[in-house]
Amino acid sequence: MKQISHLTAAIFSLCVLIVVLIGFNGYARSIERQYVNALAPLDLTQTVNGIALQQAALYQSDLLPFYGSSEITLINTPYQAEKFFATYPTGFTVFQVANLGAGSLTMAQNLAALGPDLKGKKVVISITPAPFTFSPLREDYYAGNYTRLHAYGLIFSPYLSMELKSTAAQRMLGHPKTLEADPFLEFTLNHMTDASIQSRVLYVIMFPLGALQTEVMWLQDHAEVILYIWNHHIDPNVQHIPYKIRWSKNFSAAHAEQKLHALSNPYGIEDWRWKLFQGKSKVPYQPGSGDAGFLRFLQSAEEWQDFKILLDVLQELGAKPLILSRPINGRYWEAVGVSGQAQDAFYTKLHAVVDPYHMTLVDYQQYTNEIYFSIDSVSHTSRYGWVYVDKTLNQFFHGNLH
Amino acid sequence: MWIKRLTNFFTAIYTNPTGRVVLLTLYYLAIIAGLIIMYGRGNFTTPKFVYQGF
Repeated sequence: MKQISHLTAAIFSLCVLIVVLIGFNGYARSIERQYVNALAPLDLTQTVNGIALQQAALYQSDLLPFYGSSEITLINTPYQAEKFFATYPTGFTVFQVANLGAGSLTMAQNLAALGPDLKGKKVVISITPAPFTFSPLREDYYAGNYTRLHAYGLIFSPYLSMELKSTAAQRMLGHPKTLEADPFLEFTLNHMTDASIQSRVLYVIMFPLGALQTEVMWLQDHAEVILYIWNHHIDPNVQHIPYKIRWSKNFSAAHAEQKLHALSNPYGIEDWRWKLFQGKSKVPYQPGSGDAGFLRFLQSAEEWQDFKILLDVLQELGAKPLILSRPINGRYWEAVGVSGQAQDAFYTKLHAVVDPYHMTLVDYQQYTNEIYFSIDSVSHTSRYGWVYVDKTLNQFFHGNLH
Repeated sequence: MWIKRLTNFFTAIYTNPTGRVVLLTLYYLAIIAGLIIMYGRGNFTTPKFVYQGF
């Protein structure tokens, strides 16, 4: 009888726990949707490293999720989309999910963790040519952007194909430092990359445990957001100030401002960037002397594999993305020996990869020789470049991008 | 004195089958609540790194 009492009490306790957690989950989601517009410009850790706020943003008709990396965050300017659209001038603002050094694999994990919430939703994926043409992202950048919630969200997603998850697992194993403290995930990844029946059975056994762990982390994410809202006096009502954007005026002002920041060289590179890096290289090089190295890197860059994983995630989850690339700083790259023809190979390959997915792609190839579009050789967006980006985002949100 | 009265109260409940289940349920829930308070917070921080422009 005593044993039955323990069993009955344990079952009751679990039932109460489940009911409480379901209730908390529902409460958290409703609060997050209420506050997400107010939290959007704050760039919280939970915005980038969590899921709850990103998920809430997907359900707001006036927020456009905007994923990317340093091209979004490196310079602080009123032309940055987050600030440019801060007052919802045309009815929306961006929900920025970006961090320095974030690559395609990081974004793939992040978006995979959103699961079916992405279906039919417009999202913007911002990329730059640099990791495809110049240098791989450093290991510490990947580690610095890695979160367990997103990694588990991809690997234990019931909404993605096994083939895609296996490919992602293979790439994640290439970053062993992030798996050192997580033997469970490492074990799972190792078996996912092995197509034997034994390994597949092991994955099936591991799956419920991984899915449960994902749910726990998701609840922890909700708790962090709710605690933040409780501990800070935030007004959920965000002011909307509609006005007509004068694009030509913004282009002129941003161009003039950008010129003042790039006086030390003929390539439009901002003075602090020129002083830090590019000024150390002795330009110009022999024309075409850098083509072979450029093309070799372009063909073999591992970032393409991660980028395809990202596109597969978006496709399998039914998102409606805009792939927003940036132009190569053509003048500078010509000066270091990479001809325009070699540079064009990047745009050609980008289209060859993206076009089969039938996703909207903007590459700004026509601005390759516009020296003030970027602040440096690796296409970090300038003030002037931001106005182009803002205009594209506005067109994409309103369905006018052709 | 009040400890003895409290002990008697819980003993009386515990001898009743339904009361025992209720007490045990509360006991388990207290343990779960304690575990959540101690270990429930997630860690969403990421390792710091110095961004060098690429």
